[in-house]
Amino acid sequence: MARKRSPGKTPRGWLYRCSRAVLLFALGCGLGAIGPWVWWLDREAGQRFADRQWSQASRVYARALELYPDRALSAEALALELAAVGLRPGDPNQIGRFEHRGDRVEAHLPGFLFADERQPPQRLSIRFRADAVAEIRDGGGRTLSLARVPPAELGSLMPLDDRDRTLVALADFPPLLVTGIQAVEDRQFAHHHGVDPRGLVRAAWANLRHGQVVQGGSTITQQLVKNLFLTPDRSLLRKASEAVMAMSLERRFDKADILEAYLNEVYLGQDGARAIHGFGRAAEHYFGLPVQALDAGQIALLVGMVRGASWYHPQRNPERARARRDRVIDMFFQTGLIEEEQWRAARSAALDVRDGQARPVRRHDGFLDLVSRQLRRDYRDRDLRGTGLRIFTTLDPVAQQHAERVLADGLARVESQPDQLQGAIVLVEPASGEIRALVGDRHPGRFGFNRALDARRPVGSVIKPFIYLLALAQPERWHLVSTLDDAPLAVPVRGHDPWRPRNYDNQSHGEVALMDALARSLNQATVALGLEVGLPALLRLFDQFGISGPGDAHPSALLGAVDLTPLQVAQLYQPLAAEGYSAPLRSITQVVDADGSEIGRYGTRMRPIREREALALLDVALRHAVTDGTARSLSWRLPNDPGVRGKTGTTNDRRDAWFVGYTDDWLGVVWTGRDDNAPAEVSGAASALPIWADLFGALPLRAPARSWPERIEWYWIDWPRPLLAGEDCPNARAVPFVVGSQPTDYSPCMGIEPDPPRRRLWRRH
Amino acid sequence: MSKFLAFSVPACLGRFVLLAAPLALAVGCATQAPAPVDDRIAAEQVRAPAAAETRGLQVFALRNPAVTELSEAAVQAEQAGDLGRAVTLLERALRIEPRDPELLQQIAEIRLGQGQWDQAESHARRSFDVGPRVGELCQRNWRTIALARERQGESEAARSARDRLQACQVEPPPRL
Repeated sequence: MARKRSPGKTPRGWLYRCSRAVLLFALGCGLGAIGPWVWWLDREAGQRFADRQWSQASRVYARALELYPDRALSAEALALELAAVGLRPGDPNQIGRFEHRGDRVEAHLPGFLFADERQPPQRLSIRFRADAVAEIRDGGGRTLSLARVPPAELGSLMPLDDRDRTLVALADFPPLLVTGIQAVEDRQFAHHHGVDPRGLVRAAWANLRHGQVVQGGSTITQQLVKNLFLTPDRSLLRKASEAVMAMSLERRFDKADILEAYLNEVYLGQDGARAIHGFGRAAEHYFGLPVQALDAGQIALLVGMVRGASWYHPQRNPERARARRDRVIDMFFQTGLIEEEQWRAARSAALDVRDGQARPVRRHDGFLDLVSRQLRRDYRDRDLRGTGLRIFTTLDPVAQQHAERVLADGLARVESQPDQLQGAIVLVEPASGEIRALVGDRHPGRFGFNRALDARRPVGSVIKPFIYLLALAQPERWHLVSTLDDAPLAVPVRGHDPWRPRNYDNQSHGEVALMDALARSLNQATVALGLEVGLPALLRLFDQFGISGPGDAHPSALLGAVDLTPLQVAQLYQPLAAEGYSAPLRSITQVVDADGSEIGRYGTRMRPIREREALALLDVALRHAVTDGTARSLSWRLPNDPGVRGKTGTTNDRRDAWFVGYTDDWLGVVWTGRDDNAPAEVSGAASALPIWADLFGALPLRAPARSWPERIEWYWIDWPRPLLAGEDCPNARAVPFVVGSQPTDYSPCMGIEPDPPRRRLWRRH
Repeated sequence: MSKFLAFSVPACLGRFVLLAAPLALAVGCATQAPAPVDDRIAAEQVRAPAAAETRGLQVFALRNPAVTELSEAAVQAEQAGDLGRAVTLLERALRIEPRDPELLQQIAEIRLGQGQWDQAESHARRSFDVGPRVGELCQRNWRTIALARERQGESEAARSARDRLQACQVEPPPRL
């Protein structure tokens, strides 16, 4: 209103009337505005609380270790596994602790929500004998035939707001936490209507005395409102909004809902860039335990942190955190929540949080890379982040640790200058196609170029078995003792000079048995055979085995001038190791949403390949390569050889070295070379094979139990000539043949018989 | 103690509704349409006749009790109609004993029930390869293969599987 002097009126009377009008107007405006403001806050609080959607990180888990009598596993390996899962050495009567003593492991496994069932915490006592589980007993002394160790958490896909949270239902929080938080933060919680006037008065008095805001006096409901809806500033207006919204929540929702939301929302510190919200995640982060498994002291520590998560941080400010914890324990005791005995025990216990280093070791990065690629192929990014998915994978954390170590050690052993070489390892369980370990860099912590997935390198002789497979698939033309000619040859190449392959030792070896040509990796004999079966057939075979064939059709592809990644090589060899059943290699077994319902399942999908009989013969030839061929150094590197079959590979100028080998339980691919593709002075037998042997030496290995296809028969052969022999002949050797493809001529050592009987050795069904 | 609310409320987590439904739709590869009713019966067709023909050679292997436990749980899950859980349990058992022909055949029969013909055939075939190749299990193997091939419209291949089925019933082979 403009100030205007009008004649005839006294200035004083005017001023009086005017200011009264302004005051009245302001009062009216105020009263008129408060109503809608309160109404709006009330509606807003109600709606936003009802519609709230917690974002929750999606977590990736390793495979769960199954324990059962006779499982090939050492006590040491189990201790490693338990440590990877997050258990710590200690008194096994406490959840999350284990004790390894001699041939026994005592463990108290924390509970875990598996995809198929909720498993409560479990006290186990496991006895071992000679690298196998002998007996498992539970806490009551009963013998168990099967127990499952919760899987290690490998990593998580964070929601976009970077709030890390593990949602827990109110009924699943430990009772002491539920009551204790009330004892410390809001003793009137059960009775008030959102605000606690007495607490407010107390806080106001304290603030007045100090001349500034020092005490909140907020109820649990107010704290929740502040966290959920409001900014953290401490203005009077915000305080008023908070009170109104708190009362609104109390009016609309019951105490249980409010408390549950509070326990899941409250801020409890940082994990790097991630904010830890709620007691569920805090328990996992600080203690490596599900919240249900916390004891009184641990609960007290976390409850104490509510007042200031960084001020009372147990790692950064351990003394302050300890004093605060003890204060909280006292409050628990004073309010009758714990007995005197518990009080004493809790006060004298150490803080006992996880070592800050234990968690963020950046292992498994190469594997997680593969997992996230597969997830991104099947899901949208916004469905993955913040939706609380639980992704169960195939990784074996102990095998992964071994693989990382043997690669680093093995490269350091062979290189002439430090850090010159790089390498990759892929370890697979062939029957299911599940990837158990994957290393894409010799430094486990360093993560950038993932060589296991992305380094496409020439495979060299690693390709040869597939040429022999194609030949053996024509039993009317070739068998394992067919005679091949290892002699100089010139292969015409259109528009170029003819290609003249040479052997590794620059010599030609003349007539050799087919099985020997593969075992000794003879280039000239192999190229001659490859030209007979044809390059297009080889590329078709690759296709059938799940590798999109390289378009390049230069005949040098027959000697492995084909670029493949270590993962592709593993895929190529998988059907060989799985007795002729191809299965896509996979890293994920199951994806479960936050409610526990399955949204994705990646079961074993297998397909019998056509060349199963030829494959059984090839298997014998690859065994021959290990016992008598280029891989024979395995016999002393791996003293307890469980029947390994394998093939070395070395490329031109010794740039790449490969070894691929398998047993019935495992298939392993090792590649070594230089990132810049320079000559690296490596070879399959000298660089890659020792690493492979170290890896397999650390794995639990079982004796092979192969079964032969129906149409395979074994005969005595006058090795290495394709002649039938008798068991007593000096060079006699048992060789399998596809029925009807065996030689028909007899060795001289048999003596000439006019109508010799069939010398069948045995027939396997 | 009674000053504070001590809740023992049944799970209140129902509120934390997440984006489950759209996600399930996005994951076409993982879910399948349920098999028609007569496919469920298909698995029974495989088992029943073989069970009646327990003459001839039978081979029973010693089993790890863990495998037995999982396999029995799978049978219960299957009877309760939860085929997905049954397969999960059987695949756990298969990780323990990857060459157990009985487990492989169990999976094959569930795959028949789910209408996954190619996987039914592959698993039955693998079961045959690692199994006794005679007797009741052999018959179930080839019945499954024959049925799966029929459903895939491969009548010629199905016929040859039926022929092979006849060879399951043989006298025990002489030991050499």
